[in-house]
Amino acid sequence: MSALSFPASRGPSRPGGLDTSLTRPAPGVHVLLVDGEVDTLTAPILGEALGGLLAAEPADAVVAVDLSGVGFLASSGLAVLIRAAHTAGSQGRVLHLLGGSRAVTRPLEVTGSDQLFTLLPALDELLARIDGDRPAG
Amino acid sequence: MGIEGPSGSVTKGRRRVSEVDPVGAGDGPGTVETPGSVVEVRTSASASLIPTIRAVASDLAARADFDLDAISDLRMAVDEACATLVDVAAPGSSLRCTFDVREELIRVHAEVDTADAATPVSTDTFGWRVLQTLADEVELEANGSGTVGIRLHKRADAAPR
Repeated sequence: MSALSFPASRGPSRPGGLDTSLTRPAPGVHVLLVDGEVDTLTAPILGEALGGLLAAEPADAVVAVDLSGVGFLASSGLAVLIRAAHTAGSQGRVLHLLGGSRAVTRPLEVTGSDQLFTLLPALDELLARIDGDRPAG
Repeated sequence: MGIEGPSGSVTKGRRRVSEVDPVGAGDGPGTVETPGSVVEVRTSASASLIPTIRAVASDLAARADFDLDAISDLRMAVDEACATLVDVAAPGSSLRCTFDVREELIRVHAEVDTADAATPVSTDTFGWRVLQTLADEVELEANGSGTVGIRLHKRADAAPR
């Protein structure tokens, strides 16, 4: 995995729990790591963490949610992500989703909400993309 | 009351032949329809126990050779149905979830007792729309008798979206 690979303690998600942490893997890049299952009980935790992510300054900072540790995503979790995508849009930025397994991508596809995000396989792709956008030198 | 612990029960058994084919019961092998497996899970009607129920749904679908999208859809549909019901369940009551595993199909029936016979379950929600998209068929059973149920089924091969 990337330089931001999970420590060994981040094993397979256990039922019902959710951990989040806000990281800054590169200057101007804010990534919310999410690990666990996002359902009706834990969606508020994700909502709060997304609020923290979207408070990231400066306004042109890149914001992303790394969902590679998410083993389940219910409609309540989808709703929270969709709300965050709209908030990001009103800030003039795009919410990137990284590394979702089928448990994440399937709900996004089935509901058509994948259109609201930029989906990338992993952080490396996001960083490469940002590097590509920056003028050389 | 304190926090409820997992107080669920799981029963599994073969469907009785008489339920499947009352006419053919007693005939030799080959004349009776392939019996389905029935799994019933009963838990306290608490959101904290829904992960257990959706894990059972996922496991049954995987064992029934559902494709990966269909497993994912069923798990999410069952979660959605249970979350909807737990929301209107009477305090201290239980959530009863029955899985009827057939060839190429799983039928799910989930049910709770409601505190108020008139407790409405809103189908005008994002969650209900998602449920309708995920399941091949879904039906709300609310007859004002003090129980509310959701019946759904999912085929083994998910339709491409």
